[in-house]
Amino acid sequence: MAKVLIVASSERDAGEALGAFSSAGDAAVLAYGKAAAQADAIAEYGVKVYKLDSDVVDVVFAALKKLYEVEKPSIVAGVSTKNNRDIMSRLAGLYDLPMTTEAYDVEVGEDYVRYKRGALSARAIAAEKAPLPAVVLLAPRKTKPAEKKGGGSVEELKVEVEPTVKVVGRQEKVKGGVNLEEAEIIVSVGRGFKKKEDLKLAFELAELLGAQIGCSRPIAADLKWLSEDHWVGLSGKKVAPKLYIAIGISGAPQHIAGITDSKIIVAINKDKSAQIFKHADYGVVADLYQFIPVLIKKLKERMGRA
Amino acid sequence: MGDIVVLVKAALNPETIRSKPDGTVDIDAMSLKISDIDRNAVEEASRLKSILGGKVYSITILTWGPVAKRSKDLKMAVQEALAKGVDEAYILADDEIVPGDPVTTASAIVGIIKKEGLNPDLILAGEATIDGFTGQIAGRVAAKLGLPYVSFARKIEVKDGKIVAERDLEDYLETVEAPLPAVVSVTREINQPRPPTLLQIRRASKKPQKTLKAADVEGLVKPKRVIEELRVVAVKRKQIIIEGDTLEEIADKLIDYLVKEGVLQL
Ligand SMILES: Cc1cc2nc3c(=O)[nH]c(=O)nc-3n(C[C@H](O)[C@H](O)[C@H](O)COP(=O)(O)OP(=O)(O)OC[C@H]3O[C@@H](n4cnc5c(N)ncnc54)[C@H](O)[C@@H]3O)c2cc1C
Repeated sequence: MAKVLIVASSERDAGEALGAFSSAGDAAVLAYGKAAAQADAIAEYGVKVYKLDSDVVDVVFAALKKLYEVEKPSIVAGVSTKNNRDIMSRLAGLYDLPMTTEAYDVEVGEDYVRYKRGALSARAIAAEKAPLPAVVLLAPRKTKPAEKKGGGSVEELKVEVEPTVKVVGRQEKVKGGVNLEEAEIIVSVGRGFKKKEDLKLAFELAELLGAQIGCSRPIAADLKWLSEDHWVGLSGKKVAPKLYIAIGISGAPQHIAGITDSKIIVAINKDKSAQIFKHADYGVVADLYQFIPVLIKKLKERMGRA
Repeated sequence: MGDIVVLVKAALNPETIRSKPDGTVDIDAMSLKISDIDRNAVEEASRLKSILGGKVYSITILTWGPVAKRSKDLKMAVQEALAKGVDEAYILADDEIVPGDPVTTASAIVGIIKKEGLNPDLILAGEATIDGFTGQIAGRVAAKLGLPYVSFARKIEVKDGKIVAERDLEDYLETVEAPLPAVVSVTREINQPRPPTLLQIRRASKKPQKTLKAADVEGLVKPKRVIEELRVVAVKRKQIIIEGDTLEEIADKLIDYLVKEGVLQL
């Protein structure tokens, strides 16, 4: 049986990684950062939890290295968070292990691991196989968490290292109060909007629909009209609403990468050859400045709110 | 003193994706281009060059073959880096290590740094490349060389032999301080690369380039991971364009569709 070492900074991530790998063999969890405070809850999955009260990556890496040498796991796994990518890529480098990120549909064999992952800006799906030992980081929220069966244990880890890379400050990101991953309906805005003030058209539509507001990269990253938690796509949020309404968004593959799990996609764009229409169920070729007010009016009428 | 190594990948350009009749990706029909985020790394390298005062070397490991077929795209990608401020380029292109694996790429980069006696103060890379997007090369290189690693930097400052960087994480920004030499991966938000000017492109063709073979570098690790299948994602959307004489009519039809789909309740 394979030995699995999971590295997680939240209980949820630990649960998902255990869900993907617990049938593969004995699992232990390195719980760092926020997960350290959840160590007891994680132990209820019936696993040994190494609790590390730090989220400084150099410290976590030192702890992981130590555990790796003691446990000699054949799989080191977790969810593809940024700090996990940092720590795991170093472990993979140190021991020349194969490594992947954003994996799902994992299958562990005698001496290999198979998995799938999105590639080429999510326009392709790769089926890959790597020999063990290997590092596998999962795509978040694509794997069912394991069942809690109780009976685990917690051991506090003490690592005596001075981080070479010192953390000198942290600043919470400004949040727009959205939680796009959980949204049922998303109204998403792109560069088709000419001014920040014009977004109020989308806000009005969203309010009427009970929707959250999403956006393409330029709106958050370049123009900064909305905070980054609104940003959808390859380097933003991956969303799975019932209804995704893309307004003034061209449909670049990196944007599409974030919305493929939506049930229904509506696109509103004035350019009939825009790529977004290939990825939409329903398309409206129109100027958003003319169409959105009409759509709002009609919705109000039909909701009896006119 | 004060040299920089920047890692530059000639990545499969996702825009050129083609499907074979069986639905798998026709990799041979796709072209390579400089990976977008590596452009940011090159831009940052040329900005920091004036502060550190050394030279900028680029290292490119070809991961998609066959070499003969890829050499033109490979050259273009390296030329772009040279035009944007890289002084000398190292390239490893060998059919023995394609299709590649990050385990191989990282060992090749470290092998070249050692063989060529490069002694950089800073190694810069993009946070991930646009084809694979696993984002692990910089971390691997740091670990193999035993250097400090700063990932996902969206701001870098050099002062007093140290770097101060801002790491862009999911929920917060983390300011870190690291001694040099160090390895840093950058995000697309770090700067806005401008395309090279004609003059820069002309000058680039005169800059030194060295192409190596797998046998030239020590410690090369053979690819371990195998891509068993690469399948084009089938778009299964209805792609209905709603027609109508007036916007009112179109809006009504759209609402009807959404109600019928069960995604909108009035
Ligand atoms: C490595 C990498 C990662 C990336 N990650 C992301 C990501 O996570 N998310 C993301 O979104 N992008 C991402 N991008 C950027 C992406 O490639 C596109 O540049 C971006 O999505 C374009 O945003 P947009 O559609 O808003 O703007 P544009 O492409 O400029 O499109 C604007 C659209 O609005 C339409 N329009 C204009 N005026 C009107 C009007 N009056 N009425 C109706 N329609 C109108 C136009 O026809 C056009 O189609 C990434 C790129 C790279 C290289």
